[in-house]
Amino acid sequence: MRSCLAMIIIALLAIATGCNGSGPAVAAGAEPAIRTNVGPIPGASSASIGQKDPYANDPIAAENGRRLFVWYNCYGCHGGHGGGGMGPSLRRKHFIFGHRGAQIYDSIAEGRSRGMPAWGTKIPSGQIWQLVAYIQSLRTPQEPDPPTEPANEQVPNPMHNNRIAIGTQSQH
Amino acid sequence: MRNFGNSWGLFAKWTAVVLSGGYLALAGAQNTPKTPKGMTTSIPGELPGIHLVSPVPDGQWILPAGDFANTRYSPLSQITNKNVQSLHVVATMSDGIDHGQEGQPLVVDNTLYWVTPFPNNLIAYDLTRPGFPIKWTFQPHPSRRAVGVACCDTVNRGASYARGKIVYNTLDDHTVAVDAKTGKLVWETAVGSIRYGETETMAPLVVHGIVYVGISGGEMGVRGRLTALDLKTGKILWRAWSTGSDKDVRIGPGFHAYYPKDQGKNLGITSWNPGQWKHGGGPVWGWISYDPELNLIFYGTGNPGPWDADMRPGSNHWTCTIWARDPKTGYAKWAYQIVPHDSWDYDAIMENIPVDMPWHGKQRKLLLHPARNGYMVVMDRTTGQILSAEPFVHVNWANGFNLKTGMPNINPNKRTHAGKYTMNICPSSTGGKDFIPSSFDPQTGYLYIPAHNTCMDYEGMSVNYIAGTPYLGASVRMYPGPGGYQGKLIAWDVATAKPVWSIKDKLFPVYSGVLSTGGGLVFYGTLEGWFRAVDARTGKVLWQFKTGSGIIGDPITFTGPHGKQYVAVFSGIGGWMGASDFPSISADDPYATLGANGAMRNIKAYTKPGDTMYVFAL
Repeated sequence: MRSCLAMIIIALLAIATGCNGSGPAVAAGAEPAIRTNVGPIPGASSASIGQKDPYANDPIAAENGRRLFVWYNCYGCHGGHGGGGMGPSLRRKHFIFGHRGAQIYDSIAEGRSRGMPAWGTKIPSGQIWQLVAYIQSLRTPQEPDPPTEPANEQVPNPMHNNRIAIGTQSQH
Repeated sequence: MRNFGNSWGLFAKWTAVVLSGGYLALAGAQNTPKTPKGMTTSIPGELPGIHLVSPVPDGQWILPAGDFANTRYSPLSQITNKNVQSLHVVATMSDGIDHGQEGQPLVVDNTLYWVTPFPNNLIAYDLTRPGFPIKWTFQPHPSRRAVGVACCDTVNRGASYARGKIVYNTLDDHTVAVDAKTGKLVWETAVGSIRYGETETMAPLVVHGIVYVGISGGEMGVRGRLTALDLKTGKILWRAWSTGSDKDVRIGPGFHAYYPKDQGKNLGITSWNPGQWKHGGGPVWGWISYDPELNLIFYGTGNPGPWDADMRPGSNHWTCTIWARDPKTGYAKWAYQIVPHDSWDYDAIMENIPVDMPWHGKQRKLLLHPARNGYMVVMDRTTGQILSAEPFVHVNWANGFNLKTGMPNINPNKRTHAGKYTMNICPSSTGGKDFIPSSFDPQTGYLYIPAHNTCMDYEGMSVNYIAGTPYLGASVRMYPGPGGYQGKLIAWDVATAKPVWSIKDKLFPVYSGVLSTGGGLVFYGTLEGWFRAVDARTGKVLWQFKTGSGIIGDPITFTGPHGKQYVAVFSGIGGWMGASDFPSISADDPYATLGANGAMRNIKAYTKPGDTMYVFAL
């Protein structure tokens, strides 16, 4: 029994030494190596790690974010009101790199490989959080400047003159 | 194989004759030297007086439009309006990509070549074996970052074949030349940079051993240009910029613009606020054509940047301009700015089709340009004079063109401004037609135009230039135009400048290219996925087949190794208008995809993305 215990202690020591030799020790409470997981996390499920969203549900931040969304040309790629274009829609439930505030923050700051620029070196952190607030407000009653639909396609156009009428056939 | 080698040797000889200045001898059709195998100058049933300046595809399909003139006409006539009912699928191929497949395949030496959307693979299929198996695949591995700066999906519009090489562009701005037999890279040249929002989507044209390549990025503040490369080495020979000094634009002593509005020194600088021309757009992303008899290349430049017109007072030369240039030196012979100070994104990059035909009782050298702005423009291609400009769709941004001054009679109520929504402008930015190519049939004298009926609301917005991000400056929302339909295929009688027949599409714009053939047929596809054969004279739909996805590609026809006629077309929705079908686009924002989403939001209910090539035969 005693020799068995000794062997276990020796084995544990060996593992500890091995860990120390091959990389930094993971101490409780230390900063994680990354803030955002793009791939799945090994092991049992855990709560999301990352920064706290300073502007969660803040309507003024969302409005400022809308202004920045236009100012920094975000709308050119992600659509006039975030519906997508060169870049993916932000009006979806599911985001490729995660829909939580900290994940959206990272996508803006770090950039993404299919052409999303890394804005973290260009714009201050507070503005990125305001953009996050705007993106999270999309499709909610708090969305500033939502995509309105003037009903003008229902109004007949008096200028319309159908010049092409010969041999017309409908296919439907 | 040897036979084909010989015939391509002949082709090289023929082009060599052209290169050495012997092209003058081509002026009469009788003097035309031997035409290479797979192309012909003999066009049975041609209307009296009509003369096509380039040989047309007769068995092979070696150029993007089949010929140098962009007619997209083939005299092949095994498949006719009498027997087309028995047309059926003989092979289908997939590229495993769920982005839009524009453009067309090539057929050279019993091999079928397919340039895919990003990542721009080149796949070669063996037409001599049953089922057309893959011979090889060439993968250029373009940068993934290019995807994020491509304005209108990750499309590619095809390749050109010349002297044993397949030449095409990759989305991340490289022109590649691939050995047509082995699939090995011969050369690769960077012609732009994604750091500045530049991408490559257009199909290069090769003339006289020179490769002509444009650039895309009119929404990203690029400075447009045409780049000429040596077919042998890939070395850049010259660039003709769309903005800047006359030297940069390659305007020299031989230049003469027909209209005073396009005359003057350094208009590419002086028609802008100081310095703005550097990000002024004018991308060259459409089709290039060539007239071997006049020895001129023709192409158009795209919209000025940004879309907010108030930010760039002036005529904004040389954006939205049609050019005629010397193919060897690149120096301009003439230019015509079709939309001065564009405020609607009416790019002038549509195909320019050189045709000789009787015009108001006189034989004329015409240039046909079905414009994005909704007008069918007929020009004298020796001078750049407009002879006629008639609307082929509902148009309200202008009330015709003044043929004396070359100016459109712009409706001031439809001029767009910053901070104000201008409502109900027709056509929308996507145009009366987009780059989607038309086809000219010398048997009927009709131009078959794939048209849209889409209008828009447009608000200019001030915008900051940040390299590599959109330099857009507009909020746009599109919707179907009046009349209860959104697209139509129009048969346009060039001689009378009037439509003869049209086939309406209630749901969506016609966003597929057109092919006309000696069998009296016109082929085209719909965004729902129908591929159709239509009687060229009457517009009667004679045959149709439902493909796997929406069609935004251009049909071609060719002859197989045993003399059988085939028709091939890509199916695979995407592109600017088709992008609304992607899961990454939300239907609840009509301002998404540069405004096209408003008109296209229902598309998800009708078809799904995914590229397939279909090959049909009797």
